[in-house]
Amino acid sequence: MAANQGDAHGASYRVGLLVPSSNTTVEPEFYRALPVQVTLHTARLFLTQITPEAILGLVEELETQSRLLASADVDVIVLGATAPSFLKGAGYDREVISRIEKATGKPATTTSTALTRALRFLGAKRIVLGSAYDDKVNAIAQGFLEANGFKVVAARGLGMVDNLAVGRLGPESAYELARGADRTDADAMVLACTNWRTMDTIERLERDLGKPVVSTTQVSVWDALRMIGYRKEVPGYGQLLRSLAAEGRLAAVA
Amino acid sequence: MYGWRGRIGLLVPSINTTMETEFWRIAPEGVSVHSARIAGGRHGTPEELRGMENASKQAAQEVAMVEPDVVVYGCTSGSFFEGPEWNRRIAEQLTQIAGAPTVTTAGAMAACLLAGGHKRVDVVTPYVELTNERLKQFLKAHDIDVAALGTFDMLDMFDHAKIEPSEIYRKVREITTPRSEAVFVACTQLRALEVLDSLERDLGKPVYSAVQASAWEAYQAMGVDPGITDCGGLLRRLSEPGAVKQAPRRLRKTA
Repeated sequence: MAANQGDAHGASYRVGLLVPSSNTTVEPEFYRALPVQVTLHTARLFLTQITPEAILGLVEELETQSRLLASADVDVIVLGATAPSFLKGAGYDREVISRIEKATGKPATTTSTALTRALRFLGAKRIVLGSAYDDKVNAIAQGFLEANGFKVVAARGLGMVDNLAVGRLGPESAYELARGADRTDADAMVLACTNWRTMDTIERLERDLGKPVVSTTQVSVWDALRMIGYRKEVPGYGQLLRSLAAEGRLAAVA
Repeated sequence: MYGWRGRIGLLVPSINTTMETEFWRIAPEGVSVHSARIAGGRHGTPEELRGMENASKQAAQEVAMVEPDVVVYGCTSGSFFEGPEWNRRIAEQLTQIAGAPTVTTAGAMAACLLAGGHKRVDVVTPYVELTNERLKQFLKAHDIDVAALGTFDMLDMFDHAKIEPSEIYRKVREITTPRSEAVFVACTQLRALEVLDSLERDLGKPVYSAVQASAWEAYQAMGVDPGITDCGGLLRRLSEPGAVKQAPRRLRKTA
């Protein structure tokens, strides 16, 4: 995709981010990770509880809010929410993407789509799933990953349903859960929930666990930058974002 | 938690690409920005501007969920167009809905000019004639006269972001005269923030912008000194002793 000429802030690209209304984490983490020539523009979808019922309602506002982002002529639209993009199982994320793309004419992705793409890109087959969720939502997450061909060798969640409370957790929460849940037979660690603070623990975890660590916010940033054609490494957030410089390898991502 | 020092709920017209970027750029450690978009058109017609009053209510509900410390209604014409009463009503309605004090850009414009003691100002806008007339009336209602007004005269609000900061700099220099005490650059879609310092240095008088004035009121409402040294004297003065009132903080559930 060609860069916009004479664009706001000398920026080449605009990322449109759909966030659950109660999410307090994904905007700061996106803003910090995005290169200066990429600006962030947000629209919100109602969500207070991360229960299946509440999450389904959220998806209904998808088209309306996507159109608001499209009116700012964003280059890509990201549904930056994990559970809302895997809730109805395999293929549901693609359905969400097609709804956004049809409503706006803009290329779109979701956090769950980005997660499966990133895991394939890293060659991970056996994973540990760490999340902020309760057992019910965690089981759906596990089902989604397994339907996409990944073996979940262990799953552990914090058991939380109040989304705002997830946003209150410090960075040590994800670190500790990952250290406790990791298994030697897993080739990657997944940290799920975009309202869970993960970005500043990824580097440390990769060093301490000796394997790739992907978080749902990190994969969303990666997929957005990949889709707009950004091809430089983004340092500080694990090997996945550094891989953005690997033009040849990225070309194979579908 | 992000925004442990202050969380800003930022309501922007859906087509706006400038204000989120400038708010994030100046946000210091511990302050986070959470946006929601106000549905509406891109041509700034009277119907569109009036329609923003209702559309902003939904955006306020959406952003209320992050428990913001302050809400910013970030549109100049969308808050001055129908006059000071209308502006006050928008602020009150959104304060009610969001459960946090709400500042509007038009209110912030008046407040910063009054705080500077200005009676005669020059104004630069991207607006068409009708909107410029309404802006003059709004300021007149606050006993502020517009001496010279320069406009980029563009109907399409999305395109306002394509005006380069250097063009804004030139426009301000072109229209301002010694008769005015200060200059205000209206419209949160204009990228004026980064040239305010240069303009103030080169003109020797205060130069304000819509985004800057909105941020100034927002940081005051939060009781946070952002320590912003390169976006004009207005924001720099927030770092002077006693500038940020140590009002008792609003109680919120979240740290």
